[in-house]
Amino acid sequence: MVEERQKNSRRGFLKLSALGIGAVAVAPSLMASGHGKSGSVFSEYPNTKIGSLSALKKSGELDFSYPSASSLCKAVFVDGEAKAFSTICTHKGCPTAYNKSAGVFECPCHFTKYDAKKDGQMIIGHATGGLPKVLLEIKGDDIYAVGMDGLIFGRINNNIG
Amino acid sequence: MAITLNDRLPIPHKDAEVKNITCEFCIVGCGYKAYKWPQGREGALKNNALGVDLGEQQPTYGEWCSERMYNTVTDRDGKKYNLMVIPDQDCVVNIGQNSVRGGMMGVSTFNATSATRDRLKEPMIYRGGMLMETSWEEAATLVAKVYKRVIDNDGADEISHKTFDHGGGGGGFENTWATGKLFHTAIGTNSASIHNRPAYNSEVHSSREMGIGELNSSYYDTSISDVMMVVGCNPYECQTNLFNIHMQPNLEGATIENKKKEYESGESAQKGKIIFVDPRRTASVVIAEKIAGKDNVLHLKLKPGTDITLMNALVTYIFEKGWEAKDFIKNHTENFAEMYKVNKISLKDAAKITDLKESDIVKAAEWIAKPKKSGHRPRNAIYYEKGIIWGIKNYECVASVVNLGMLTHSVGRVGTGICRAGGHQEGYTRPHYNGPSRQNLAVIDTDIIEGKYLVYSIWATNPFGQSIATERLRNAVTKRSQIVKDAINGYHGNDLDELAEIIYRATKIGGLFVVDADIYPNQATQRSHIVFPAATTMEMNLTSMSGERRLRLSEKVMDAPGSSKPDCLIAADIANALKAEYLKAGNKEMAKRFEGFEWKSEEDAFNDGFAGQGASMASQGGGTGKLANYSNLRKAGNNGVQLPIIKRDGDKLIGTRLHYSDGKFGTKSGRATFLPTPQPAMPAQVAKQQKRFKYWVNTGRINEVWQSNYHTGRLEFTAKRWPMAPLEIHPKDAKDIGVISGDIVQLSNDYGSTRAIAVVTDCVREGEVFGGFGFQNSIINDLCTDYVDPDTKIPFYKGTVADIVRVGRSEPLIKDMTFVERA
Ligand code: SF4
Ligand code: FES
Repeated sequence: MVEERQKNSRRGFLKLSALGIGAVAVAPSLMASGHGKSGSVFSEYPNTKIGSLSALKKSGELDFSYPSASSLCKAVFVDGEAKAFSTICTHKGCPTAYNKSAGVFECPCHFTKYDAKKDGQMIIGHATGGLPKVLLEIKGDDIYAVGMDGLIFGRINNNIG
Repeated sequence: MAITLNDRLPIPHKDAEVKNITCEFCIVGCGYKAYKWPQGREGALKNNALGVDLGEQQPTYGEWCSERMYNTVTDRDGKKYNLMVIPDQDCVVNIGQNSVRGGMMGVSTFNATSATRDRLKEPMIYRGGMLMETSWEEAATLVAKVYKRVIDNDGADEISHKTFDHGGGGGGFENTWATGKLFHTAIGTNSASIHNRPAYNSEVHSSREMGIGELNSSYYDTSISDVMMVVGCNPYECQTNLFNIHMQPNLEGATIENKKKEYESGESAQKGKIIFVDPRRTASVVIAEKIAGKDNVLHLKLKPGTDITLMNALVTYIFEKGWEAKDFIKNHTENFAEMYKVNKISLKDAAKITDLKESDIVKAAEWIAKPKKSGHRPRNAIYYEKGIIWGIKNYECVASVVNLGMLTHSVGRVGTGICRAGGHQEGYTRPHYNGPSRQNLAVIDTDIIEGKYLVYSIWATNPFGQSIATERLRNAVTKRSQIVKDAINGYHGNDLDELAEIIYRATKIGGLFVVDADIYPNQATQRSHIVFPAATTMEMNLTSMSGERRLRLSEKVMDAPGSSKPDCLIAADIANALKAEYLKAGNKEMAKRFEGFEWKSEEDAFNDGFAGQGASMASQGGGTGKLANYSNLRKAGNNGVQLPIIKRDGDKLIGTRLHYSDGKFGTKSGRATFLPTPQPAMPAQVAKQQKRFKYWVNTGRINEVWQSNYHTGRLEFTAKRWPMAPLEIHPKDAKDIGVISGDIVQLSNDYGSTRAIAVVTDCVREGEVFGGFGFQNSIINDLCTDYVDPDTKIPFYKGTVADIVRVGRSEPLIKDMTFVERA
């Protein structure tokens, strides 16, 4: 019975998902080798240029991966500010869809919603926190991802996986 | 000091201790696994307790521990551990999914450097103007000495109590048995009331008297029903995994294969439909529409207080169409004609009273009763909860829904049920309550306000936020408790007999001796003279049953903070202290009443109550509860067994998926009894408020807030999300009042006043507001009248009236609150 229903809900998920399961499935670790070798409490996050501020202002959203290829993120421009989040729902790991007009990340699996204007705060749903935030630095027109605040779904450590 | 790393967690060591936990919160009773391993040890990415390669990104639905599922804990020997509490993939209830509540069990555990740090740790006594720590012996002895004086001089009924009566955290069969044995038979008081209401009563008296126990189906049957009907209940927020794991796949059509397997041959099997009866557009309604499309969701957004009329209209229409379950009614029910004579109502009249369209009432009737394409009768899973239980008149509200279920044979058949959806899990096993009939029960909290009783024992609940007319109750108990406090303050010695005498005398001049047992300090603690610190889920072994009667053993994982104990052992301490007092006084007869509490552990209490008494007690385990013990329940794991147990096959317990499949019901005749349920008039107290004030006030639970908000009001995530209770106000009303979302408003009426944060939304009807229930800093029940259904003494928590004004705005207060539409 369990397996049956699990399959069912996964099938449902595949149908709904914009990105497909492959996008969040197993990918070789990019950062695992750095873990624990720096002697620092926080092993270091990469400094990654993710795009241009003027382009983000224009389009309102920008997809990228951070801190590694299998971790999908999105930068959004809300309330006159660039913000970025891991887009994987921290309930059970479905990719959320961004509703640009509302500034809301919506999960198609069990309908958890997160408010981009409130730092990814959960509006309603089943996650145990807001969406993990990507910390950004703006240098001129360049946007850099420099760290994360919050654990990415499916990881024991943001820098591993 | 504590460092919080919120972007990584330690890897669970492969030797981690793994325990089964049943979620301590809602009725659904999801299964979790707790992993505990010593601090300073870590597993390896490829070799760890979770058995997955943690060096890789886990897939959707994969095993994962969020920051809030993790904590560090310290046992009494000082050893520190890592603790992860994550949803169990192998549990049929939740197949690895959590809700926001259950997903925070890890962070809810006691950690001296976290938000849970103020857990009660030691017994406390009020001396010298404040509560201070004391020994268990002194606390229990003083309570015993005061109780003895009251019992001997004034009678046991002068000891009133308000005690949890449920499963999950703070409850369980162990603890309800022990507290029931203490109060019902040992102390022998009938002045009892239950955690969320002012008397000692069932919330579903009528269903039981109709012969239908309120938890008669299973979640699997819901998943294979044709139509789900949800009355006064918001399952997405309040019974989350019932909705996500069992209702959602039905609405998606993902259970059609199971339907084909379980239905009669040739019977139509399609994707499920759902009907909501609620004055509010809830999140459940909106999300069901997203899942199933608007064509498969019907929201009957009725006028509050008119559910009975709606049910009667459905019964009438279905009967007029000849769609009633004729054979079932003839062979297995009684009293149909008497019911119908009273309940019959035209569509037109019903539409007028309920504010619904006739065509919508017809549509609902067609969905639940019109033969399917194949000619078979639709299979309905009917759920009801607080929206009607706490409605205009509890007895008829519940009975009217059960009438409809009986008419359509929605009980005892595969894919059906007429169940309460439930709040918390259940765990009832108690000696018989010897109080009067339901019509004559004492309404304890009203009595307290009126100056009755000498003792008020409050056990694992906060009546000051969750009873009727709570502002009046708080004020009354503050004053009456102070009389005792003043008396104590005048005594500087430490002779417990003298102290007990001083307390007793103060109670005789209007004082109230208040004894509290809980896990956190709250408004009850503030008014108490003795406080006992209790253990909760994960700190003790605890058995409970869920909304589908699934009994599990939730195992002990860690020590409780300080010297706090399981409630059953606190009850035993009080009983044993009373026994000692009576022996000292040479009263062997009375001492005998307090025998049978010689328990060393919660398992002793389980074996004495649930597994020891069998059918001789009022127990949800029934006569076959005896077949369960900790060892076979441990083996049954998170899937447990659905009560009643039918038999034991070796170590395996065989249970019951569906009740009443034999067509025999719990009445003398064995037939289910229809009951007349006329629409009641508005109760006088509420009608008076209607004349004097403007806005109808409905209340209810919010996803993120559990019970009295005791954990969730402390945890950073939920406390920031909801710093005060939200008050949903229709845009037109908001304009009239002059408020926007985020403003602080004050509500007031003849009973009290409270404050809340305005949330402007059209999910409520015009002229009606909805306030979040359970908040301790904005108590919506302050507005609740003192009306109770005269037939059951259950309040009308969902119906009062108040005026609303804007009082101001504080941006820092709402900094982390989002006002995006939830539904
Ligand atoms: S749905 Fe209920 S039982 Fe399940 S995890 Fe949530 S609160 Fe716990
Ligand atoms: S995975 Fe997003 S709501 Fe469940």
